[in-house]
Amino acid sequence: MVSLGHRGAGIQGTNPYVSGEFLHNEGMTLGPDDDTARRRQADEHWTRRRDLERQLHDGPALRIAALTLHLGLLGQKAGDLRHDIEDLQGQLHIVLQELRLIADQIYPPLLQEAGLGAALRELASVLPAPVRVDAADGRFDPAVEGVAYFAVLEVLRDHPVTTRTVDITVRRDDDGLALDLAGADTGRGVTVGDRIAWLGGVVEIVEDAGRRTIKVRIPCG
Amino acid sequence: MRVALAEDGALFRDGLMMLLEAAGHEVVGATADGDALVELLATEPADVAILDIRMPPEPDGGLVTAERLRAAHPKLGLLFLSHYAEAHYLMRVLQIGTDAIGYRLKEKVGSVDVLSDTLTRIRDGEIVIEPVLARRLVERPSSSRRDVVAALSGREQEVLRLMAEGRSNGGIAHQLVVMPKAVEKHIANIFSKLGLPADAAEHHRRVLAVLTYLRSQQDGA
Repeated sequence: MVSLGHRGAGIQGTNPYVSGEFLHNEGMTLGPDDDTARRRQADEHWTRRRDLERQLHDGPALRIAALTLHLGLLGQKAGDLRHDIEDLQGQLHIVLQELRLIADQIYPPLLQEAGLGAALRELASVLPAPVRVDAADGRFDPAVEGVAYFAVLEVLRDHPVTTRTVDITVRRDDDGLALDLAGADTGRGVTVGDRIAWLGGVVEIVEDAGRRTIKVRIPCG
Repeated sequence: MRVALAEDGALFRDGLMMLLEAAGHEVVGATADGDALVELLATEPADVAILDIRMPPEPDGGLVTAERLRAAHPKLGLLFLSHYAEAHYLMRVLQIGTDAIGYRLKEKVGSVDVLSDTLTRIRDGEIVIEPVLARRLVERPSSSRRDVVAALSGREQEVLRLMAEGRSNGGIAHQLVVMPKAVEKHIANIFSKLGLPADAAEHHRRVLAVLTYLRSQQDGA
């Protein structure tokens, strides 16, 4: 579902993953200044995505919604065309639903407006896999919320429908965001690691009583 | 009826005013943000206020404005229009009130009949929930509810969907072209199968009971 250029401004150079279970940005040779530059780049990237979603909402989507109202007015005047007009309005609804799906892949509006907890709960409600979300209402930077949201989406989108429930917890610890995905497919942890490393974060996989948890930690103010 | 509206997109606001007037309603005022609507309604009585959810004051000015309006004018009906049909916003809308309130997609009120039907139901104290969203909630309830909902008969699922739209018994009977007695029997069966208390079957409480059931992550949540 997500096919956008997440990696567009990603980390160059060595594979940041240590083989085995512990994934972080070890092996990077960037200094503190590079970290700051990289973080700024990431912030710009995610802020731009958020702005693009907003432009879709305020521009074409609003225009199409207004068009349905004008068609309704036309239907009022031309009674014999009413069914054809309703059909056109139905097609515009489909156009808007398609635009919404695209907007969700750029930056989910709910993530922007209500934060990670609300956006992940909404995501859990539409995914075929059973997912429980435990998250407080606190907010993080747009980049952190964006990276965390799409990391969860990537881990969960292929999760088998009939298997165990995935438990997601989101909280703020002393350093920033702490996101745990318990019971998820840990193979996916590797694929989301570079975006998290981009923000100076780490991905770790721990196993407890046969249940594996992907632990994501992203520093933020 | 007398209608006031607040919407920051001029194109949609103008289209809505024209459609309301074509439907024979009196538009007592149209503002571009929530604060101006509160000011307007302090002096202009209205039957229903129409609010865009995503408007100033940002990020979701429609909701904070509605809270102020409900406190100042308890009898004023509230219709939220949004570009998104999200369960998150539905639950927030129902926290503001469970009577004389509605939540619909912007492009789904684009005919004189639908707009007037929506406004009339709200003015008469009903809850009106976007059918697209009600259907999604019934077809894809929270993972811990899926087995129970899937075990309902086809007709019971239809009745559940209409309940989730906020329809009264009479409204459900009319939609399904059956006798009200038959609807009552279906509702009793549904409440028994979902394990909901029978007293929640009273109209306003049951919409909340049904939606909370479909959304909640586990028993008792």
